[in-house]
Amino acid sequence: MASSSTGPSIPIVFSTQTPYPLPSQKFMLPASWKRYHLSQLINKALSLAKPVPFDFIVKGEILRTSLAEWCAENGVGEEETLEVEYIESVMPPQKMSDLPHEDWVSSVSCHLPGYFFTASYDGYIRAFDYSQKQAFTAQIHSASITSMCFIPSNDEEESTHLIATSSHDLSAQISRVTVASDPSKTSRSKVLASLHLHTGPVSSVASHPSGSHLLTSSWDSLIGLWDTSIPSSDEVPEPSITDRERKKRRKLNGGEKDADKLKRKAPLMVLKSHTARVSRVIYGKESSANSAYSCGFDSTVRIWDVENGLCSHTITASEKPFLDIALAADGNTALAASTDRTITMYDVRESSRSTTISSGSLLHPATPSCIAPGTTAHQIVSGAYDGIVRLWDLRSQKSAMTTFKAWEGKKKVLSVDWKRGMVAVGGEGGLEVWKAVEDVRS
Amino acid sequence: MPAEVKTSKKRKQDEQHDTAPGVFSKAVNMEMLSDEEGSEGEESDGQEVDEFPEIDANSDEESDFEDEDEEDEEDEDEESESEADDEDLLHVFPKAKTVVSDITGQPKRVYPEIEPEYDSDSSTEDAPNRVGNVPMHWYDDMPHVGYDMDGKRVLRPARGDELDRFLETVEDPSAWTSAFDKNTQSDKPLTTEELDLIRRLHAGENPDADYDPYEPTTEWFTGKGKEEIMPLSAAPEPKRRWVPSKWEKKKVMKIVRAIRQGRILPSKPKASAQPQFYAIWSEPSSSHPPPLPAPKTALPTNAESYNPPEEYLLNEEERKKWEETDPEDRDRDFIPQKYSSLRLVPGYDRFIKERFNRQLDLYMAPRVQRVKLNIDPESLIPKLPSPSSLKPFPTYKSLRFPHSARARCIAISPDGAWVVSGDENGIVSLWELSVGKEIRRWKFDGKVGSLEWCPRTDATFFVVGTEEALHFIIPPYLPPAIYQLTQTLLAPSTLPPTADASSPVKWSTAPTNTWTDDTPLLSIHLPTTSGLPIQIAWHRRGDYLATVSSGGGVWIHQMSRRHSQAPFKKVRGKVQMVLFHPMKPHFFVATQQYVRLYNLSEQKLLKTLTPGIKWISSLDVHPSGDHLIVGGYDRKLCWFDLELSDKPYKILRYHSRAIRSLHFHPTYPLFASSSDDGSIQIFHARVYSDLMTDPLIVPLKILRGHEITQGLGVLQVRWSNKHPWLVSSGADGVVNVWCN
Repeated sequence: MASSSTGPSIPIVFSTQTPYPLPSQKFMLPASWKRYHLSQLINKALSLAKPVPFDFIVKGEILRTSLAEWCAENGVGEEETLEVEYIESVMPPQKMSDLPHEDWVSSVSCHLPGYFFTASYDGYIRAFDYSQKQAFTAQIHSASITSMCFIPSNDEEESTHLIATSSHDLSAQISRVTVASDPSKTSRSKVLASLHLHTGPVSSVASHPSGSHLLTSSWDSLIGLWDTSIPSSDEVPEPSITDRERKKRRKLNGGEKDADKLKRKAPLMVLKSHTARVSRVIYGKESSANSAYSCGFDSTVRIWDVENGLCSHTITASEKPFLDIALAADGNTALAASTDRTITMYDVRESSRSTTISSGSLLHPATPSCIAPGTTAHQIVSGAYDGIVRLWDLRSQKSAMTTFKAWEGKKKVLSVDWKRGMVAVGGEGGLEVWKAVEDVRS
Repeated sequence: MPAEVKTSKKRKQDEQHDTAPGVFSKAVNMEMLSDEEGSEGEESDGQEVDEFPEIDANSDEESDFEDEDEEDEEDEDEESESEADDEDLLHVFPKAKTVVSDITGQPKRVYPEIEPEYDSDSSTEDAPNRVGNVPMHWYDDMPHVGYDMDGKRVLRPARGDELDRFLETVEDPSAWTSAFDKNTQSDKPLTTEELDLIRRLHAGENPDADYDPYEPTTEWFTGKGKEEIMPLSAAPEPKRRWVPSKWEKKKVMKIVRAIRQGRILPSKPKASAQPQFYAIWSEPSSSHPPPLPAPKTALPTNAESYNPPEEYLLNEEERKKWEETDPEDRDRDFIPQKYSSLRLVPGYDRFIKERFNRQLDLYMAPRVQRVKLNIDPESLIPKLPSPSSLKPFPTYKSLRFPHSARARCIAISPDGAWVVSGDENGIVSLWELSVGKEIRRWKFDGKVGSLEWCPRTDATFFVVGTEEALHFIIPPYLPPAIYQLTQTLLAPSTLPPTADASSPVKWSTAPTNTWTDDTPLLSIHLPTTSGLPIQIAWHRRGDYLATVSSGGGVWIHQMSRRHSQAPFKKVRGKVQMVLFHPMKPHFFVATQQYVRLYNLSEQKLLKTLTPGIKWISSLDVHPSGDHLIVGGYDRKLCWFDLELSDKPYKILRYHSRAIRSLHFHPTYPLFASSSDDGSIQIFHARVYSDLMTDPLIVPLKILRGHEITQGLGVLQVRWSNKHPWLVSSGADGVVNVWCN
């Protein structure tokens, strides 16, 4: 198999976690070969019907040059056997649509098939279908919405969904949204309940995978745990308000009946441990749905036992105010973005909690603001304030697999979501949707 | 003449010594006396020379005889006595007898003749041991101690032990005068002579008992009847002995004449031993570094050759030009000449001139070798910790918030979450620090000169300074409790009584029915000519705030009493900035060149700091209250230790243009300075509670990112309270957030 071309050759052993394994065998390959040659080699060796492009990772770095150049750069002798891992290539993302907004988009979601939901700083929630038409718009909050999540429910009809939003107005809300599937019906939205605990702007809201509970985090360093049932009456009394405010409130509610009025909910439990702003709280994956992960400006990542309301583990970094946290698809790795321009990986499995050392960090040239996991455990996407969205393979931490720039100029990316081969990017310029197939097989 | 006399006398004296060397005559003494007096004539000298002292020889002799007789008698007596005592006594020194000499007729001492047989060494006469002068310890282990004359062994006499010896000393009275005789190995009593000898030696006297140290002198040639009258030579005394010397006189007269004519100066100053000239280039000196090498003469070039190549010769033009130029301006002080042979070269007419120039060169050459300091410039730089060890500090621009006009002022909320920034179009924006999203915007007439957030934690509002007015604004999204308190603070339901209705400062609260979040709830209207409030400084408790107007007026406003007062009746110079001390009731006032520290409670001036800055632009006080930084338009930044001195502890000149703003971080040991050169500099400033340790100031980072517009750079910098994040506003209308 080794070609008879001139020049030095390098011994290489291939390994992979893809379903295209090669026999573990040492290959003597010409040093001048690049990714393309290696990919061809594997395709031919396996005689695949449909050619699959591969990328090659050598010592945690993706191979972008020829083998000889890589060896020269990294000071590896030609006699040494290189262990090369190959992964399926990520196709360069392609822009599918650009949906400008009136205000900045703080949160995007591809949760609902067929729709992109955005929450904006003007207090609106908007939905767009795949044909870029605005399917739904409603003002949920009078203040900026900082975060949005879907509350999964089983018994509801197909077009009605529960959405939880968090806002600068110190509260989170649960709203029912009915998206009309055909243009004849009108889309409706109704705010069911508002969650009152926090004394600072609520930074994020997260729903339990079963839809039974919600978590909210706030700038006042508290995390609130709520159930999603709508009470029949206010659990929290309305504050004594002045005449002027009451007038305003009345105008806003439009003289609704008392039964239709939004209910003021109180939290089930308050999780107190952070010492500064909590920037995001998320629930664990289905396997460990009783644990939650939060990160904050006090440079800590905390793992919570939600049932008991206790902080079961604290990972303390030094001087890393965290902006966002996400779990990789397998739920074993937490990724936290901090203002020191890194996304740091922490192993959050029970077995490895004795050590709080990060297992690596992804360096960014600007502040990373948001992270979204892919469907495989190795792939994540991150957005940064320089307007560039990066796709990472966690096995190659030194540089991103591929990047693309959303919007013209330097507009901040504030939220990303990656589902079904589409990356929704929300930020200063509105919403952009890019096609990025995370898994070649699907 | 005294000189003559002296010399003649001297000569005479010498002669006398020659003639009678052994005699110390009276005449000599007298002459010495006369020499000292120096007034006697020559006659007396001659008399003295002629006279010879009479010697009374007879009397001397007689006395000698008598003395000796007496001595003899005494000796004889002693002898007889000693003989009577003990005839066997050994005479260590043989006794002398005095007899009258047959030849001279004089008495003389006669010693007994030494008879070799018996008298020579009587000590060995009866010594039985003839072993000789050998070390006796050779016989220590033997029963005998030697051999007698017949070769028989001399047995060791019995010797008692220590006790016997002790008893012997007690019993025998002569034991202490006996000594151990090695030869016979026994004690032997010492004789009287020997004891006397020991006593004399002990007393330090001459061991000879007969020695007389004070013997009378024997006069051989002096004394009565022994005078030697006849001279040794019959030659008549030469004339020169008494006639003054002619030649000496001549010589003296010559000298005298020379002195009179002034040719000889009697007291001429002595010429210094040091030669006036010395080789400056060659003489090594011990105390100085080795001599400098003399400047070298320039080596001759081709042009100076007697037969230079053609191209060195001057043509007519060049020659004319050479002649026209001044001698000192000529590039060459000679004209190259060509001769076909060395024989034809004329005498060198410039030799003297050239030597003179050479001497002049040597004379004018610098004598001091300039000491070149070989100092490594790195070693002069103080040892500072590396910036990477002093993290965190802002390193990059995280956010950019645009304004439509020059953003002059910014303020960060006490919780570090919100920023308000104001520009010259009158727009005040409230935006989120970590995202940079504008949440609310207010529009005012005219420029916004200053902004400051109230430091209270139980109430949240900020103050905007526009033309001749201060506006108090409540930001949105406050918790109800804080909102209520803020509202009652700014617009209390019952207004306190106005203390002075004639006060030029008017407080006005917006009526509740017309007030919305978009308008200020409370406004303070300053006097009409005061101008733009360029600075607002809050007291840490949030009850007092001080404002400085562009006209230089300083006002202190009290929130609870709704009262404003001007603390200074007259201010020397234009007030640039004011600050409240973070701990004490002190108040900093920076005028154009001085910073004054007042005690507000006692109402007196505490200190005047002189930064040496021509025009102060900004100042900030360290959160500990003991340190102050002052920046000036002349690019200087002065650090004051208030405990230490009125003079700056350190002056930093890092900016290339005027300093605009300074700010200490409230919690981190950092401060930032911004300048018109468009850069922000971050310093690490650690202050130790130990008074002996100087504050550590380390420049950390220069942040560039603002553009210079119309000569103005970064106008204000502010730190976030809880994070090492910096917010800066620039003349380019951009507010930047810098993160670590």
